[in-house]
Amino acid sequence: MSVAEMPDISPISLFDPTAGSAVPAELWDGITDKNLGDWEVEWLPELLKRLRILHGQGVARSKWPQSRLWDWRRKLQAIEGLLANQCFSIVCNDMTQAMMITDLTHRAKLDAKQAAHLVYVEYLETAPWNRKEIIGQEPRLSGCGSIMIRAAIELSKEEGFQGRVGLHSLPQANNFYANQVGMEDLGIDKDYQNLRYFELTPEKAEAYITKGQQP
Amino acid sequence: MKIKVKEEWCVSQAQLEAGAEVGAGVIALDPTFESDDAKNEPIDDSRVALQRFVELSRRQKNLSRQQLAEQADIDLSELEGIETDMHYMPETRTLYQLANVLGVSQKKLMGLSGLTQPKDVSYVEEAVRYAARSESISRLTPEEQAALDGLIAVLSEK
Repeated sequence: MSVAEMPDISPISLFDPTAGSAVPAELWDGITDKNLGDWEVEWLPELLKRLRILHGQGVARSKWPQSRLWDWRRKLQAIEGLLANQCFSIVCNDMTQAMMITDLTHRAKLDAKQAAHLVYVEYLETAPWNRKEIIGQEPRLSGCGSIMIRAAIELSKEEGFQGRVGLHSLPQANNFYANQVGMEDLGIDKDYQNLRYFELTPEKAEAYITKGQQP
Repeated sequence: MKIKVKEEWCVSQAQLEAGAEVGAGVIALDPTFESDDAKNEPIDDSRVALQRFVELSRRQKNLSRQQLAEQADIDLSELEGIETDMHYMPETRTLYQLANVLGVSQKKLMGLSGLTQPKDVSYVEEAVRYAARSESISRLTPEEQAALDGLIAVLSEK
């Protein structure tokens, strides 16, 4: 599937660190024209503003946000009509806060003998204002990454993949996937621009869900 | 697909996440060979050829850098880097986009830039020779036009 017309909507919550409170939000089962419009009109100008600051400060390009060249409209066009790709978006306060494209054709690298299928996270990005490293202050909303990984796990279960999820992390996000999500770090993948490949086993997926339920 | 997730879970995980980077996906890295001491490295002749090819092609089309950057859907700073800084290492995507707009082989343009190691270096040497025949002025002289024609020929798919 590609640009969705009528996505399924699941109620979720994000967290506003400044107010210290939960904020009602929605997980959309798809990426719509509204999401792409938000990306073009709101995300990109904000990102450009931040890049100007980094450039002005003489920060090396290798330290700039690594997703800055992503074109979500093209990504969606590229998977037009393909059933193997499932997309998600998170909307809060009538604004897209994160987007994700998954691919259901990949196989697990852990326990490779079984050649088990998994949900591969092709692309995942959150809005610039939700990224502490970019804006240099508390994010407007936190929790998009956690929800997206939860969605990938639930999709994996629904597809019969038992919660298996795989992805190539951007270097600045390695810590999140290794330590917060608890994914197995399979090291640098030379076939994927030297990004680190992470995989979530069924056991680790369950632990991730359970972890958040503990008081 | 709908999911059921409790608010407590969302908040607990969100507090741990705390606005951390969570991006995943390829085609996002800067070239790994980029280093702080790149400026001290000698200039490769093929980089001169790349710079001359892009500049001559742009001028032949009567395009400003801004216009070519828009046509190729690349950052203006990337194009400026290629045309003015022989040490500048462009993004892989930038070269792919430029190759498409300028109608030459993506692989060969990558090889010329140094981003990939070409198996057949003869076209690089030939491109360098053509590039050496041109000088930078505002309008293309017949000599420059001939140099550009030669560059296009060796960088095109056969």
